[in-house]
Amino acid sequence: MSAIQILFWFLSGLALVSAIMVLISKNPVHSVLWLVMVFFAISGHYILMNAQFLAIVNLIVYAGAIMVLFLFVIMLMNLDKTSDPQKNWWMKLAGVISGGCLLMEMATLVRQAAEMKEKTVMMKEGSIGLIGNLGKLLFSDYVVPFEISSVLFLSAMVGAVVIGKKN
Amino acid sequence: MNAIIFSALAGVVMMFSGIFTKNTSIITNVARVALAVLIAVNLLDTYGGWMIAVDTKNLLSFNKFGFFFNTILFVATFLFFVLSGRDIEKVGSYTAEYYALIFFSLCGIAVLTSFNNLLMMFLGVEIMSIPLYILTGADKKNLKSNEASLKYFLMGSFSTGIMLMGITLVYGATGNFNLPPISSAVTGAVVSDSIIGPLGLLLIFVSLCFKVSAAPFHFWTPDVYDGAPSVFTSFMATIIKAAGFFAFIKLFEERSSDLRVSWKIIMPVIIIATLLAGNITAVFQQSVKRMLAYSSIAQAGFMLFVVYANNNSIGKEGILLYAAAYSLATIGIFAILIRMKDYTFNGYNGLAKKEPFIAAVNTILLLSLAGIPLTAGFFAKYYMLAAAINAGGKSVLWLVVIAVLFAAVSVYYYFRVIQAMYFKEGDAEVENVNNRFKFGLLIIAALIISIGILPSVLLNWFYF
Amino acid sequence: MGASSLIVLFFAAIAFSVGGISIAKIFVKGVKNPQKGQAYECGIPATGSPWHQFNVGYYLFALIFLIFDVELVFMYPWAVVVKQTGLTALIEILIFIFILFMGFLYAHKKGALKWM
Repeated sequence: MSAIQILFWFLSGLALVSAIMVLISKNPVHSVLWLVMVFFAISGHYILMNAQFLAIVNLIVYAGAIMVLFLFVIMLMNLDKTSDPQKNWWMKLAGVISGGCLLMEMATLVRQAAEMKEKTVMMKEGSIGLIGNLGKLLFSDYVVPFEISSVLFLSAMVGAVVIGKKN
Repeated sequence: MNAIIFSALAGVVMMFSGIFTKNTSIITNVARVALAVLIAVNLLDTYGGWMIAVDTKNLLSFNKFGFFFNTILFVATFLFFVLSGRDIEKVGSYTAEYYALIFFSLCGIAVLTSFNNLLMMFLGVEIMSIPLYILTGADKKNLKSNEASLKYFLMGSFSTGIMLMGITLVYGATGNFNLPPISSAVTGAVVSDSIIGPLGLLLIFVSLCFKVSAAPFHFWTPDVYDGAPSVFTSFMATIIKAAGFFAFIKLFEERSSDLRVSWKIIMPVIIIATLLAGNITAVFQQSVKRMLAYSSIAQAGFMLFVVYANNNSIGKEGILLYAAAYSLATIGIFAILIRMKDYTFNGYNGLAKKEPFIAAVNTILLLSLAGIPLTAGFFAKYYMLAAAINAGGKSVLWLVVIAVLFAAVSVYYYFRVIQAMYFKEGDAEVENVNNRFKFGLLIIAALIISIGILPSVLLNWFYF
Repeated sequence: MGASSLIVLFFAAIAFSVGGISIAKIFVKGVKNPQKGQAYECGIPATGSPWHQFNVGYYLFALIFLIFDVELVFMYPWAVVVKQTGLTALIEILIFIFILFMGFLYAHKKGALKWM
């Protein structure tokens, strides 16, 4: 096993374990922290796939800022120990069945795909995700959407003030 | 490009106008002037007079159809500002911000009328809809408004997610985001026979159906339109919806053949479902506002004909007419509705005795929505059906017949308002009617009738 | 710097943090004592649960932070390519920053950045 393979399995395991912990944590704040862990593991995967920019965005925006928003939402909702989650047996059963179907479907597809037998995932291939190449494209061919997206940020900012600020 | 840049600038100006002055009527006037400038620069751009030239690397492509559509929507927004400016001021304490958000939304529309690339389409749709989520929840103290905002936001994000998924699949199949598909031989991309490309287009189709509230993706519409502050419902139901249709046309003009046979099955099903859901439910409403929400679904059903009959000039002329007729009429009806004390049908009882002028204008606008001859709505509907027949020949005759039947159903609920105004006794109350408001209504009614008598005036201008 | 050195750094980072904690666990004798958890000297004893509802106003700061965070992410590829693309990229990012600076100015003037 090469170093990259070791890293791949390690990150995959980390992502799966953390994702399961997100689901089974009783405390929602712990769930959020485990979710941060999932994002870190996924970012590691992005770096393995030569998608540096995605990895950075995932860390800075998702693991950083979005998770702060998540924590705020949890603290806003005033989750007390007294407010028990609903326990609907039928809903659970339906969830298990539909989730199981999806899992079976995915497993079948993965087993059938010919490429899967040779390589699980493409590693260190392609160079478009490297920051230099992405930057060159962003500031030459895609500069118009880049500038227009600032309007989107502005409207989000105005919206935050309109909705969030006390009169 | 002028329209995109100037609408964004106008938005920024509006943002800061709220800091420099607390006088809301000054802010409203600034917004009106900014919009007039926007219309002017867009017209200059249309006729090549003066434009900001930006090399968009083929991401945006400007043509007369798009410019003209911009002009129609901007003029409709201008009339909306003139008629309902006072009501925007009353929604909450952020008047300047509401105008800024409307201008940002117009910026999104300007992107949507010129996109040549799926990436730009996504950006346009987002810039157009994010301000709307906020405007829907502008009435912060009202629980209904909050609920509508949240509902709209959640459903809107899901549909955007579906659109992104579709764009990804199309990219996977063709290897580029460009709208006119480059043949796979050029790009060396995946085989064009694969199911991935059509599947992606289908997902984009679904999300656009959501944006224009076509059945079966219309369930959010009545709740959101009902819950949002009435002024903003007026804006959402007209200008935004028309812009959504433009994106629809532009996308499927180039790509509908990729969906092959399924296109001829999907479109009629969606059209009939939309007409059915809109018209039949509108009949049972007690509130005029909710009735108008359902009627907007029904009108979307008619506008879908142009998507069905893509690539023909009658359809393009028709959607211009339809956008103008439907937007103007609905803006007028909403402007009156906002100032009514009671939003139910009974609230209109006896309006003709108290305010004969307003009742008369309301009647003309309702007749136009119903598609009665001599109003703009008649020709709008006529062009839609003609476009379908032109594209499909006799095989779509049954579809046209169904549409006409549903148009007859729609007459029933529009006439209920007219009946309440003229033939029922009651004391309908309209607040703050001044001369400017009446003048604005007069202009709208005049436009509706003049387009209804001479639709060629508007269309000739398009070719001029 | 290639992927291999990243991997080395990655494991070094893990070893550093995990190693530190585990060494501390091995050598430090933990004495469990309720007195230890109390406030130091004249501090006020804690009462009630730390779980309480936050003011919704704090959310505004997080939202504005998020917007500028996303703006910052775009500067990263710019910083990498600015030497090659030169003046055009500089002008492009300046326009972008200027537009968002307008947003910042707006938020500041509206008092959205004032701590309540």
